[in-house]
Amino acid sequence: MSESPIISLRDVRRDYALGAERVHALQGVSLDVVRGDYVAIVGPSGCGKSTLLNLIGVIDQPTSGTVAIDGKRVDDMSDREATQFRLRNIGFVFQRFYLMPILSALENVALPMAEAGVPKDERVKRATGLLTYVWLGNRQRHRPSEMSGGEQQRVAIARALANQPKLLLADEPTGELDAKTGTEIIALFQRLNNDGTTIVVVTHDEELASAARRKIHMRDGRVVDG
Amino acid sequence: MRAVLAKASLVRHRARTMLAILGVAIAAAMLLDMVMLATGMRESFRQLLLTRGFQLRLSPKGTLPFDTDATIGDVAGVMSTLRRNSDIREISPVLGGSIHIAVRGRDVSASILGIDPKVQGDYELLSGNDVTAANAIVVNARLLGELRSKIGDTISVSTGYDPQTRSYSGQRALVVTGTVRFIYGASDQSAAAVRRETLQEMNAQLPTRAGDRASLFMIRVRDSANVEATRHWIESQLPNVSALSIATAIAQVDQRLSYFRQLSLILGAVSLFVGFLLVTTLVTVSVNERAGEIAVLRAIGVSRSHVIEQIVVEGVFISLLGAIIGLALGLATARYLNSILSAFPGLPMAIDFFLFQPRAAWSALGLLIASGIGAGVYPAFRAASLPIAETLRKEAIA
Amino acid sequence: MLLALLLVSALTQDSTVAKPLPTRERIPRTIAIDEVLADQAHLHVGDRVSISPLPNTPGDTVIIGAIVRRGADPSEVARGDLKVRLHLDQLQTLSNYGDRVDRFAIQTKPGTDIRSLIERVNGIAFGFRAYPSSEIAVETSRTFQVVSRFHRAIGIITIVASSVFLLCIMVLKVEERRRDIAALRLMGISRATVVRAIITEAALIAVLGSALGIVLGWLVSVFVNWHYQAVYRTPLAFSIVTPMIVIVAVALSLALGVGAGIAASLRLVRQPPLALFGR
Repeated sequence: MSESPIISLRDVRRDYALGAERVHALQGVSLDVVRGDYVAIVGPSGCGKSTLLNLIGVIDQPTSGTVAIDGKRVDDMSDREATQFRLRNIGFVFQRFYLMPILSALENVALPMAEAGVPKDERVKRATGLLTYVWLGNRQRHRPSEMSGGEQQRVAIARALANQPKLLLADEPTGELDAKTGTEIIALFQRLNNDGTTIVVVTHDEELASAARRKIHMRDGRVVDG
Repeated sequence: MRAVLAKASLVRHRARTMLAILGVAIAAAMLLDMVMLATGMRESFRQLLLTRGFQLRLSPKGTLPFDTDATIGDVAGVMSTLRRNSDIREISPVLGGSIHIAVRGRDVSASILGIDPKVQGDYELLSGNDVTAANAIVVNARLLGELRSKIGDTISVSTGYDPQTRSYSGQRALVVTGTVRFIYGASDQSAAAVRRETLQEMNAQLPTRAGDRASLFMIRVRDSANVEATRHWIESQLPNVSALSIATAIAQVDQRLSYFRQLSLILGAVSLFVGFLLVTTLVTVSVNERAGEIAVLRAIGVSRSHVIEQIVVEGVFISLLGAIIGLALGLATARYLNSILSAFPGLPMAIDFFLFQPRAAWSALGLLIASGIGAGVYPAFRAASLPIAETLRKEAIA
Repeated sequence: MLLALLLVSALTQDSTVAKPLPTRERIPRTIAIDEVLADQAHLHVGDRVSISPLPNTPGDTVIIGAIVRRGADPSEVARGDLKVRLHLDQLQTLSNYGDRVDRFAIQTKPGTDIRSLIERVNGIAFGFRAYPSSEIAVETSRTFQVVSRFHRAIGIITIVASSVFLLCIMVLKVEERRRDIAALRLMGISRATVVRAIITEAALIAVLGSALGIVLGWLVSVFVNWHYQAVYRTPLAFSIVTPMIVIVAVALSLALGVGAGIAASLRLVRQPPLALFGR
């Protein structure tokens, strides 16, 4: 494991309006994550953990404070820069999978590669390899509607890995899955981390949190432990 | 990939897509019809006037050709004056009138043209021979049917008929030498043609129509570029005539039929607007449903412009398919509407109100497709610009 | 009439009142001209003009006795004719027409049986026929019959097109609310209730839309009449909104609106609620 932080947050705040009220989702969060680490962010509902993950994933911007990924400031990027950054450096896995229902598993995985300009042959080869890695080599042509929840989430993970990102971020990846399927996903994350992928997950799932090397506890928009 | 995504998205909701395509097709058909109506009449009329290459027409002052019974006197003098202009290549004097023929106790009336067969531009010989002899007459199919005659028959033709005494004047025995199609003839008109001198002789007994007269002169100018100059020259030399170029004739007819142009403009604009509205509604509903999907695409790194492109492509697919179907539909509807308007009394058979002109048609359909693109852009831009995190949160709650 | 046209062209060509040419009559008689001619040639009651059968030929000096408003005659509308009225004998003399006319117009005493009068006249007439004025009107308005048929065809096409457009937009808008409908169904609300609710909404929109459409149509009709009456200088009404037209239009739009609502809602309630959620 290398020592240089791949994620670095300093005094990050995130406020947003909810009707007439102002919600302080994050209140001065500072943390570092080193390369190759496997971090679980845990806490009660509404503590700000998903908000924190969104900021790390550059799909949201802080109200104040700085966010750096692999030494590069991302909190003040333009939309175009942020989009490009996400495409090449970050893989995101969502609770609800969010696969394109009209594309096959292979096409879903190839989608980010197509956006990155990878030639078609190369795309197909890499997507096939990724699906095999997540134990879905024989389900390439199936649509999401023809797959179980666990299979869909594995496709989503393969998609997140499409452009060989520096970071894999997962927001409640086992939230919609049964216990047995959840265990498969946990095992997959383990394997990914062992193979060198830096992973940050947000979760309520105790088993998933325990599988991580490090737990960060949050409450009321602050890091209280970890 | 974007085209694949767009097509798949449309296929996902087949019925909705088909309905939208049908709607756009109807809008396209109406737009096409209105473009054909707006430009067709003028072009059809222009083509008709140019059929025999005569660029100028002279009629009695202040009238349009054959609009009234007025005639121009001293044809020889007029011809002589016109021949002084070297730009004038050919002159065809035409005398119009009506004839009466007694058929089995019944009076059959028809219109008649007195022409010079060497230069005439009023009819096409379909069978038999032209009016080379002084006692020859050519007739159209309708008149031949009414007379129950055939080529070679001799008929007694009169230019005057007194219904009070039921007597004929200006009578002459003429031989039917051929059948013709009158270029400017209406579909319900019986018509015939003889040599102008023949008609003049028959008119000799009619006080108002006697003499060396013509209803109209058709003129061919050597160089098309000099038509206007020749027109001005003629009017300066012959104050009793109005000289009409094709452009002025069209302008006169345009003025009379301006209602159709205005109608076509209004209905065309409405069609375009409705097509735009349909595509915009479809795209808006489509992206509203897929807000989550769109946010995820943005989250995984698909750029805003690519997302917009994909959505706009959906609008283009619908507009394109709609335009193609609309083309076929529009042509069929135009034919039907044209058949209604062709029943205008006295309208030359050759005039079409709805004329397909490729350039105008493609421009109209191109405009529809462009509006389809425009219709998709705004909802697409809005959807692609939604804050990613907030949208994902809302979708998760929903 | 045709002579009048020639006369007019000579006058308007000069665009000033012509100097009297050598006259046949010593005491000028009066003529009446239509308002368009008066306008174009800047003529007024009391002006002296010369009328002749051909341009630049001797004619009669006459005085303009009256300026006449155009009648609501459809057959005259699109033509650019300028009309002049002369005393019959003067026109007959000028035109060398002799003691002839083109037609007689007969006004009968109130209560006269027109049909039997026409039969009696035609029975003794020799070389002419009598017709009721209404028949002549129909014959001379053939042009406008064609236009009416054209309008009817356009109207039918518009109705068909509007039906498709309306159905299209209704389906899209109802589908937008598929999740709401799914939630209602999951709560136990019956299909019939959901369909009734959507139809009620569609009917309300149709009623409001019809009312707005009637007002809009009436305004457009007023504008069309104003515009074309000014362009063609005629009191002819080009567009008339009758109670029957209003009733038919409202009935049609209600039927279309409600029909589209029914079609759109039935489409959705047939699907299982979870499918509407996309699962």
